[in-house]
Amino acid sequence: MAMHKNHINSTPTPLPSGKRDTLHVNGYHGFPRRSVTPNGRPVPANAARLMNSIEGDLGAEENPRLSIFRDLYARSEARISSLFEENGANENGDTRNVEEQDHQLNDDPFEDAPAPATGSPRKHTRKIDEDDYDESEDEDDDEPGDDSPLKSKSTGPPVNLAPSSSAMVRGLSSSSTPASAKGASSILAVKTTEEARKRLEEDKKATEDAAKRSFHTLFYTLENDRDAMLEQKKLEESERQVDIEMGGAGAAANNVNGLGGNAQQGTLSQTNLGASSLTLKNLIWMIDTNRDKVKATDPELRALMSEVRKNRSKWASEDKVGQEELYEAAEKVLNELRGMTEHSGPFLTKVNKKEAPDYGNVVKHPMDLGTMTKKLKTLAYRSKQDFVEDLNLIWQNCLKYNANPEHFLRKKALFMRKETDKLVPLIPNISIRDRADVEAEERRLQNGDINMDGDEDSDDEPIISSRGRKAPSKKAKKGTTARKAPAGVPEGSPAAEAKPSSNHLAPNGLGSNLKFEHLIADSESVMDGSQKDLSTPTPGAITPAGINGILGHGTQSDGMDIDADSSINGIVPSIDGPNEEAENDDLEYKTWKQVTKKDRAQVTAERHRLFLGDHLNPEEPALRRTKLGMRRWLRNQKQAVSDGALGKKSAEEEAEIRENEESQPSGETLAEGMEGEEERVLPDYYDALAVIPDLSNRLQWLEDSDGNVQDPSGEFLRILPQGLFTSPESNLTRKIDKNLRQIQETRKVTSKIAIVKQMQLQSQMYQGQFQKHEPAPFVEQDIEPTVISEEGPPIAPSVSRAALQRSTAKLLVLAGFEEFQPAALDAITEMAGDYFIKIARTLNEYPQAQQVAIPAPGVQGGRIACKERFTTEEIILHTLHINGADLDALDSYVTEEVDRAGTKLAVTHDRMKAHLADSLRPALTDAGPDGANAFNDNSEQFVGGDFAEELGEDFFGFKDLGLDKEFNMASLSVPLHLLQNRMRSANQAQNPSALSSTPLSDLPPPPPLTPVTVNNVKSEIGLVQAFFLAKIRANNDEPLIEDDDLPQKQRFPKPRLPPTGKITSPRKRPLKEQGPGKGHPRKKMKVGENGEAKEMGKENAAEKESGKEGEKDKKDETQTPAKKATTNGVVSNGANSTVDSGGDVTMGTPTPTPKGKGKSGKEGGLISPESLEAT
Amino acid sequence: MAEKSGAKYRQEIQQMMFVAGETGEPSSETTTLIEQIVHEQVIEMLKRSTALATRRGSRAITTADLFFLIRHDKAKTSRLKTFLSWKDVRKSARESDDKGGDAADAAVGDDALGGVDVAGGPSVPVSELSKRSKKKVKLPWDISSFFTEQLPEGEDEDDEEEEEANAATIVRLQAADRRTKGMTRDEYVHYSECRQASFTYKKAKRFREWAGFGIVTDSKPNDDIVDILGFLLYDIVQTLTEEALKVKQEEDLNKSRNGDSDAQSKKRKRETGLFDPPEEGTTPVTPKHVREAFRRLQEKPIPGRVRVWMGGPRALQRTELKLI
Repeated sequence: MAMHKNHINSTPTPLPSGKRDTLHVNGYHGFPRRSVTPNGRPVPANAARLMNSIEGDLGAEENPRLSIFRDLYARSEARISSLFEENGANENGDTRNVEEQDHQLNDDPFEDAPAPATGSPRKHTRKIDEDDYDESEDEDDDEPGDDSPLKSKSTGPPVNLAPSSSAMVRGLSSSSTPASAKGASSILAVKTTEEARKRLEEDKKATEDAAKRSFHTLFYTLENDRDAMLEQKKLEESERQVDIEMGGAGAAANNVNGLGGNAQQGTLSQTNLGASSLTLKNLIWMIDTNRDKVKATDPELRALMSEVRKNRSKWASEDKVGQEELYEAAEKVLNELRGMTEHSGPFLTKVNKKEAPDYGNVVKHPMDLGTMTKKLKTLAYRSKQDFVEDLNLIWQNCLKYNANPEHFLRKKALFMRKETDKLVPLIPNISIRDRADVEAEERRLQNGDINMDGDEDSDDEPIISSRGRKAPSKKAKKGTTARKAPAGVPEGSPAAEAKPSSNHLAPNGLGSNLKFEHLIADSESVMDGSQKDLSTPTPGAITPAGINGILGHGTQSDGMDIDADSSINGIVPSIDGPNEEAENDDLEYKTWKQVTKKDRAQVTAERHRLFLGDHLNPEEPALRRTKLGMRRWLRNQKQAVSDGALGKKSAEEEAEIRENEESQPSGETLAEGMEGEEERVLPDYYDALAVIPDLSNRLQWLEDSDGNVQDPSGEFLRILPQGLFTSPESNLTRKIDKNLRQIQETRKVTSKIAIVKQMQLQSQMYQGQFQKHEPAPFVEQDIEPTVISEEGPPIAPSVSRAALQRSTAKLLVLAGFEEFQPAALDAITEMAGDYFIKIARTLNEYPQAQQVAIPAPGVQGGRIACKERFTTEEIILHTLHINGADLDALDSYVTEEVDRAGTKLAVTHDRMKAHLADSLRPALTDAGPDGANAFNDNSEQFVGGDFAEELGEDFFGFKDLGLDKEFNMASLSVPLHLLQNRMRSANQAQNPSALSSTPLSDLPPPPPLTPVTVNNVKSEIGLVQAFFLAKIRANNDEPLIEDDDLPQKQRFPKPRLPPTGKITSPRKRPLKEQGPGKGHPRKKMKVGENGEAKEMGKENAAEKESGKEGEKDKKDETQTPAKKATTNGVVSNGANSTVDSGGDVTMGTPTPTPKGKGKSGKEGGLISPESLEAT
Repeated sequence: MAEKSGAKYRQEIQQMMFVAGETGEPSSETTTLIEQIVHEQVIEMLKRSTALATRRGSRAITTADLFFLIRHDKAKTSRLKTFLSWKDVRKSARESDDKGGDAADAAVGDDALGGVDVAGGPSVPVSELSKRSKKKVKLPWDISSFFTEQLPEGEDEDDEEEEEANAATIVRLQAADRRTKGMTRDEYVHYSECRQASFTYKKAKRFREWAGFGIVTDSKPNDDIVDILGFLLYDIVQTLTEEALKVKQEEDLNKSRNGDSDAQSKKRKRETGLFDPPEEGTTPVTPKHVREAFRRLQEKPIPGRVRVWMGGPRALQRTELKLI
């Protein structure tokens, strides 16, 4: 209502002046004439009138008020400006004023007291226009002052104190009889609405719960938070504005109260509890009536009572029956409505004239939520109806002004109206009545005794005075608690709002300087202000008049600015996109937004505070994780698990959680209690600090029954599956392996051919000249069993590289290489690795392509089915194409390089074998067309029986003798090595066991000869004793070793009897140590002279190596053992050197080499003609 | 310079084109263009084989280097192999002839040249001679070179690959056969003369100059190399001409179709009469056909060659010249 607005506008004026102002007003309109008896008699009339006026048409009433208050406004404005000019004089005026009031109060304490009974804000304002008619009322100078205590109470969070102080002030007047009747009536009234309220609350709770549950199933983005914050800010701004405005009046009132407090007295009931304590009413009454019987002093009693009744509403008023209930509910509703910032935004403050110049023409009685708050705080509502009508007035105004049905504000207004309708049932249908009234009624009912009143009044006097002294200390306590609130985690706007008002509890009697500071603190920083409060224990803060006025003015203009910026009161179209869109949001999202709005706004604001411009503000205190937050997080998590929202957790885990829960409940509750829980309806991710990451199971601290720590690591270790580092079995690899084997076989054959050729050329052979080419088959060795603890594939770059190198090497062998230089192999491996990395990257790229919608002809509007952009085949084909390969190329590779090469190799192998056979028995081929050459000189055709074999004839009768079976002969000719001497000796050297051990096998080997030592040399025959002794000397007194037992290389060559039968010379050349490594490195050009990739390799180590194990020819002792150390495979040089067992996984190095040296007894050693033949 | 170099092989190229199926007389622009293409190709071949040889550590180009360049073209490789083995035959035949007498020298030489295409001038005695001494060209990447020991020459060596490659040759021969079927003796003589056209034969010096020996490559390539190059260039010209003819054919077809519609509109005018001269059968291929043919040949992916995109904008990558 406009009048109220005006009133507010006037309140920000400096307090004393404001005070004066109201005084003046009263003076003009006959306030002084208004007299109130101590009994509060006039009040009923007043109340009745109030009721009338409430019931009457509001609109009709408002016009006169409007004009009146416009005048008032103009006057106060003038006053403000004048005050600005005389800033310096403020203090004096202030104190003077205080004194003045003091006087008044002291002068007439008894008369003064009743006033509060009538002094609800509502009444006050009404009085202003009604005083004209109400001549019977006594002068009521104090009334505004009495109002303000209430106001200050209403604004201040130190709720408990304020009522008591106000009660103290008014102590004398009110009767001691408890208003039990009133209590009952209010209970009844409450009861009627109780159910509806409950229902609504439950509904609300349900939606809240639903929203909470959705925290775990839905992820809400933070994009709306900013809007929420801004809206919340606006809301708070308007609230603060109200507060500040109210603060002026309230402080003024407090001032009066505080000063007047000394003179006032009250009963126990008044002081302690106010009217609202329905339950205690009777008790108090009993105590009061039996006061003499109680031993305790009054202070004790009061302390006791206040102990008993802690939670008193700030609305509680001793003198107003039903006020607490009504205002409690109304405030709740109002806050609720204001809290719907999405929709309530435009209605928070009054309409700005600039924005809607014609608003005044259309809407006669403007109203807004801010004004309503002010009215509420000034206790301007007398009944639920009053309140509800104001609310509806807002929406009506909006609808009226914005006649266009399309207007978006209408939507908001309608929404708000709907909400209002929902919420209104919460408010109990109570009309506030003065206690005096009620009690008077009661008294009338139960023969109320006036004398008693008088007695009690006098009785109470000391109590009150003591109370007045005591109060400050109490308030000091309050101050500290009040200070706590802002320091802690913000509790929500109420708490925040509380701060400024707590500042109003500034000391009464202190110098205005201090007050001045207070005000600054008040307006600027909550913390400071509350600290000041600490130092100034006096209750009922008085804000210095001048400054308060300025401040109020300032905020007001601020408010105007805001008005200009944003759409207010439903006139200027709001530009907020999100708000509009919100209409289209789904229900769940809406609920979420509504439920969490406030909290989100807070969190966002907090977050916002951390930033300075675009950077983090270094001055801001660090964020700290709190036990409380973590616990909350844990609880929510648990909750989610039990709701099943977090999906499957294994039963074990749940059990664990439960266990944990049980194991540590005590600490939890304790700490929680300490820190003061305040609940936020927000998903966990808003509180990132408190999040506790999941511990992986393996890190868990487990204890067995004895309290010993268990090491769970064993359960998480796993053995790396075999085959990770070998090429997987497939058709292709089988073919490749087959080809490789084929190549090796053919190589064997060719090596034999080479030997045969060599043998035919050389007249003399020496031991070790021809080594058997015995390549071991390729075996891909897997890593040794390895245990790792990590999930996923083992990361072992070096091993992987070695494996790749092995595969590359295999392909190279397949391409015809026998051996490679490590550098070359490295290079090729690098290239292959690079290529594979490219392929893998490309392969990874395609599945990430955007999904495409499947055109579904039948389905309309429904969910659009999506599929991957590429199928797996497409991905592979694309990848191949991008990387320059295609299926044709791959296919041709397999057919050409593998399949066809396989057949070619087979053919080659066969032909090689045939060639070998030819070279072994060259005669027939040279025999000429008619075979006549076979019988030329030196022909061995007949000696070996070869010609007969050609014919299939058993020329020597081997078959008859059964020799072919006995020796398992392949042919019916005489074995070559039997015929040709050098081959025979070679064969003998190679297979000593085959020839020599058989005949001796029957006899046990003779006992080994005892070595000749220094000790047993005497037992030798005398002739050789000297000889032996000399030898032993030479041998450092070590036992002599038999020649046969000497290592091969040191053996003396055994003298051999040449065919001539003459021993020529025992030793031609002196025995001397030969230098190592006199191998016969054959240079071998692998690819021929013109290939681009040729290998100038050393002789294959394996080739050299094998066969050296066998018996040595005595002549050939120059062979040194040094070669033994050489590597054992074709590829091994490169692979072994590059593979190191580094990396995080210890594993065997897969050697890409053919394993082992081909030295298995019989096969190793020199190639014998026999074995040549066998192939 | 261009004119001069264009004039260098004009006649040979004309002859080659004739053999390849071009019946008309190609203009000098066409031959010049073809010669330029061929020139480019031969220089490219020399460059690459020189690079190969250098990488191998030798300065001299070998036949294997040249083989390596065309290794993906199985048919061509096989043709080249055949050519080389016949060249061997010719050489040995000449030696034996030298022993026997100088009389048949010229004739054998001619025949040997005919051996450029095996069926060109089949002369029984020579082929019999070749049977014995025809040496198979061994390539380092053949399977036979996997092993240290060489297999003795044998008759059973024909592998399928050979046959497959021969198939292409046979198709070519068949075409030639069809063309020569209806020829008169003079015509055939002319034809066979044209078949002997060569970039190298008896003009080795000119060829060396033309191909930039000593500039592109340091070494002095031996006769074998020159012969192989000649053979390959011959092959290139043939391929190019065939492709150009194909292009022209398509163009003609297209034209005649469009012409048909034109004719419909213009009526009568193009009505083919009994005595009309044959339609544009005689127009020779023009440079544009050759150009288009060259483009097509370049466009075909090199078989077996993997092109890995190494990053960077594709457009900036220079595509190398493809050997036809």
